[in-house]
Amino acid sequence: MDAGLAELAVSGSPFPWLSLIVLLPAAAALMLPLVPSSEENPSPAPKIITLVVLLVDLLLMMGVFATRFDPSTEGLQLVERVSWLPALGLEWSLGVDGLSAPLVVLSGLVTLLSVAASWSVQRKSRLYFALMLVQASAQGLVFLSQDFLLFFLAWELELVPVYLLIAIWGGQNRQYAATKFILYTALASLLILISGLALALSGETFTFNLTELAARSPGGSFGLLCYVGFLIGFGVKLPMFPLHTWLPDAHGEANAPVSMLLAGVLLKMGGYALLRFNVQMLPEAHATLAPALVILGIVNIVYGALNAFAQDNVKRRIACSSVSHMGFVLVGIGAVDALGISGAMLQMVSHGLIAAAMFFVTGVFYERTKTLSIPNMGGLAKALPITFAFFLASSLASLALPGMSGFISEITVFLGITSQEAFTSVFRSITVLMAAIGLVLTPIYLLSMCRRVFFGPRIPALASVADMRPRELVIGLSLLVPTLVIGIWPRVAMDLYEASTNALALQFIAS
Amino acid sequence: MPSAEELAWLIPVLPLFGAVLTGLGLISFNRTINRLRKPVALLLISCVGAAAALSYSILFNQLNGAPPVEHLFVWASAGSFVLPMGYVVDPLGAVMLALVTTIALLVLVYSHGYMAHDKGYVRFFTYLALFSSSMLGLIISPNLLEIYVFWELVGMCSYLLVGFWYDRDGAAHAAQKAFVVNRVGDFGLLLGILGLFWATGSFDFQGIADGLQNGLTAGTVAPWAALLLCLLVFMGPMAKSAQFPLHVWLPDAMEGPTPISALIHAATMVAAGVFLVARLDPLYAQFPVVQTVIAVVGTITCFLGASIALTQMDLKKGLAYSTVSQLGYMMLAMGCGAPVAGIFHLVTHAFFKAMLFLGSGSVIHAMEEVVGHEPVLAQDMRLMGGLRKKMPVTSITFFIGCIAISGIPPLAGFWSKDEILGQAFNSYPLLWVVGFLTAGMTAFYMFRLYFLTFEGDFRGNDTAMQAQLLTAVGKDPSEHHAHGGSVHESAWPMAAPLAVLAVPSVLIGLLGTPWNSRFAGLLNPEEALEMAEHFSWGEFLPLAGASVAISVAGITLAVLAYALRRIDLGRLVAGRFPAVNAFLANKWYLDVVNEKLFVRGSRKLAREVLEVDAKVVDGVVNLTGLLTLGSGEGLKYLETGRAQFYALIVFAGVIGLVVLFGVIGGPIA
Repeated sequence: MDAGLAELAVSGSPFPWLSLIVLLPAAAALMLPLVPSSEENPSPAPKIITLVVLLVDLLLMMGVFATRFDPSTEGLQLVERVSWLPALGLEWSLGVDGLSAPLVVLSGLVTLLSVAASWSVQRKSRLYFALMLVQASAQGLVFLSQDFLLFFLAWELELVPVYLLIAIWGGQNRQYAATKFILYTALASLLILISGLALALSGETFTFNLTELAARSPGGSFGLLCYVGFLIGFGVKLPMFPLHTWLPDAHGEANAPVSMLLAGVLLKMGGYALLRFNVQMLPEAHATLAPALVILGIVNIVYGALNAFAQDNVKRRIACSSVSHMGFVLVGIGAVDALGISGAMLQMVSHGLIAAAMFFVTGVFYERTKTLSIPNMGGLAKALPITFAFFLASSLASLALPGMSGFISEITVFLGITSQEAFTSVFRSITVLMAAIGLVLTPIYLLSMCRRVFFGPRIPALASVADMRPRELVIGLSLLVPTLVIGIWPRVAMDLYEASTNALALQFIAS
Repeated sequence: MPSAEELAWLIPVLPLFGAVLTGLGLISFNRTINRLRKPVALLLISCVGAAAALSYSILFNQLNGAPPVEHLFVWASAGSFVLPMGYVVDPLGAVMLALVTTIALLVLVYSHGYMAHDKGYVRFFTYLALFSSSMLGLIISPNLLEIYVFWELVGMCSYLLVGFWYDRDGAAHAAQKAFVVNRVGDFGLLLGILGLFWATGSFDFQGIADGLQNGLTAGTVAPWAALLLCLLVFMGPMAKSAQFPLHVWLPDAMEGPTPISALIHAATMVAAGVFLVARLDPLYAQFPVVQTVIAVVGTITCFLGASIALTQMDLKKGLAYSTVSQLGYMMLAMGCGAPVAGIFHLVTHAFFKAMLFLGSGSVIHAMEEVVGHEPVLAQDMRLMGGLRKKMPVTSITFFIGCIAISGIPPLAGFWSKDEILGQAFNSYPLLWVVGFLTAGMTAFYMFRLYFLTFEGDFRGNDTAMQAQLLTAVGKDPSEHHAHGGSVHESAWPMAAPLAVLAVPSVLIGLLGTPWNSRFAGLLNPEEALEMAEHFSWGEFLPLAGASVAISVAGITLAVLAYALRRIDLGRLVAGRFPAVNAFLANKWYLDVVNEKLFVRGSRKLAREVLEVDAKVVDGVVNLTGLLTLGSGEGLKYLETGRAQFYALIVFAGVIGLVVLFGVIGGPIA
């Protein structure tokens, strides 16, 4: 344990790259109010500054991970530890491993693209883009923080921009949706905090350091209690049945770029935190409760899919499809073998890209049609063929078409659950059967949506509407090309985290 | 210089390269690329052409006894698990590669004529190349999981191409139905693959067969589980190869452009199911029960398709049900444990059915000059007739196709169908009877199609019939504008592929004569030797004679009813047995059952679940949350909308809690 700590201290990089990645957007956010802009004559400066900062940040992430991060080792790398508030035991402690690296890059990419997708936001644009930047910092901190208190502060901090982004720039029912979002997540946060504090207080020394907490790995009913607290807390974000009902409301009201953030980044925090806390810190409790996770996962998959089929609003339907797809993350985590956890990781990355793409394209045609109600649409393809191509491509990706990332991630989860010897064969059979039913339901609700929105005779009212512009094309391709690349050559993503997920799974084989 | 086998990976990659290039072009420079028709067509035709050349040299090498080649690499891994992908070239694969590239190439050339006036010309070619690539990838897949990958991809291409004319509601529904029904099959296939992997730890065809055998002997796998897994895997081929009761998507898929019906829904993709069963022969050969199921399903399909084809008035639908029926024959062969016979029929059928479909496309193309771009009119045989004089190439090739499929020697269909019937006669005499009767029905309905389309007088200008047909599908006849042109033979890009396909339709059967089957010699030399040794005219002639006799009977009936008009079948049969007629006209009522049971059922279930979600789940969770808050404050905020600062309040509160805990925690630290 102490040896491990010493090693961590030694391996700390001389330059705080991770802090730079995390703090750069926040620093830029502080600058934005100084940019002159008015409601009547909004200046393009805020969005350009935001875009450039986030692009630099993304390049920085990729550069740092490519050159200074060794994916073949499992432990934390680029560790930075600075005591911040010793009275509280709060440390500025960052580090990256295979679990965080892919998600950091994913969130960097999705945030950048969602800013690019916000090009037409005029109202209070300085505040809007400043919130986007704060959000970027907060989510980076969530994925990189190695101190529980710091993690928790970041977790809470990220709620504020999302809440305001929904509440100010949302649709008709934005107040309701935003409040529901904040109520759900804030109440859930209390459970996270209580569990985390309990863990911190449980040992001989008081510490918030995640590595030290993980080394304690308390078992028994105490461990189980903490586990359940975390599970509910993170389950809201994932979202996990029955805590998912905030999601369709939030997506239904948020504008498309914020939906991209919600689906592409926020949901992934839930999955990441489950891996980081529930699996890594409380392996004993996880081994006990894994079957429950698997069951919740298949409920998510089937229940989410059925809900999606009945939704009449494009964004609410995609939101329910997110519930369904995130069920695979739960099943994968519950499978507790290398394949399952690997599948869960890949599903997070894959769903982040695909759901962001779907919401983005939805935003593209919403700007042109001003409606999201499926029964009131039809025949869009004649007017917007390229938009149709993108929506169809993302739908196909979402229904786990091979060659796209969704297939390899879901099949890995399937293989993970199939090869988990610890479960009885009946349990495994039923799980695989139910999850496969989800695979049949997905094309039903996605393709019927495509049919009802895009297929059919031309609509005269849309004759003069322009199809996707170059900016929109670039955004769409930036999401779909990675989906394809991972789908064709999954090791691009898998090699990044394989060492870490294998190590996580090894815990359970040993115990 | 690497051998052709070493370069086999190029066969799917070449068309893929072309498709990606034009696809990207379509997305980024839509207008420009859409104008570059000839260059795009040339590029894609040369890509597929190069793949065809490579395929032929592989076939040539395999004929000369070159050993099979397999190359694998690690595609994905986790823990101790590795997932290999790669490619394999063996005689079966070589035959399929040559077949698919040939027909794809001819269909591409044909499409240049057929789609000449379509705005989506370039998109169509791109999809075609993408399909060819996926289909070729499927053929060279060395294991089940890789097959599944390409299996779904050909399904996607089929979806895109059936829904190609996306402004038509019929096409939209048909495309979705095709995908969803295939997903139902793939659901079983995937479960089967996972289960077999669980039982044997392998995805490899031989590995699965051996692993399951060992598992059964060692007692680690229960016999019923092994049977179940085999049947689950068979669900995939059932959907893809349109076997009863999952055949319902194929006739609807005729909404797609006709070249697609020829390539995907007659010659290649629908045969993929039969191909997979052939690949899985080492597995299925161990389970006689599974083989019996396959044979029975095949026979039902075979009879069902032919019976529905008897009453179809839509030229393409008639051919589609004929395809269903012929796929049933192939599956019957697989069930009889005679994969070579099944694959042989697959090959002969691919040539003559592609020719028949392309011929029907030529007819439809010509009809559109008269009745306008309305599939309800252009494909209905009640408006055709007398086309032989105006379309000589089309009518002659169509006629050849009819003889070939009816099983008249020495044309292709005779040899392959007779082989299957012979196998069935030895394995399942009862199923042979059904197959035998179906052969007669086949001859009858094919010649019915021929006579209604090409003989008699032209009925295309019958406006009363046009109005009646339009009203029947709920369209307003007054809104329709006929072109009023005249019928003429199609230009060379369409006529030439027909002529080329006529050659194998006549001759290719001679490669599979039972006394000296070159075909069996390639796929399974031992079986070929055995066949040749056991061949006796005494056994062959009675069976073959019976098949020919029943075919001739079917043709005679068709001649009497539709060419000479001596008997009126409508009055004789349909009038006397209205129930039978209605049963056939409603396609055995399977679509009605599907609609009522599955489509409406799933919709209703989903709506109920959403209701529960909105009222119960959401309500309970909200209520719990509010109770936890301990007061109605939260509700008040919800209603008054004064929630702007709520986030900050919660945030501050949480910080306060942290400080509190930190102070308590401090001393302990």
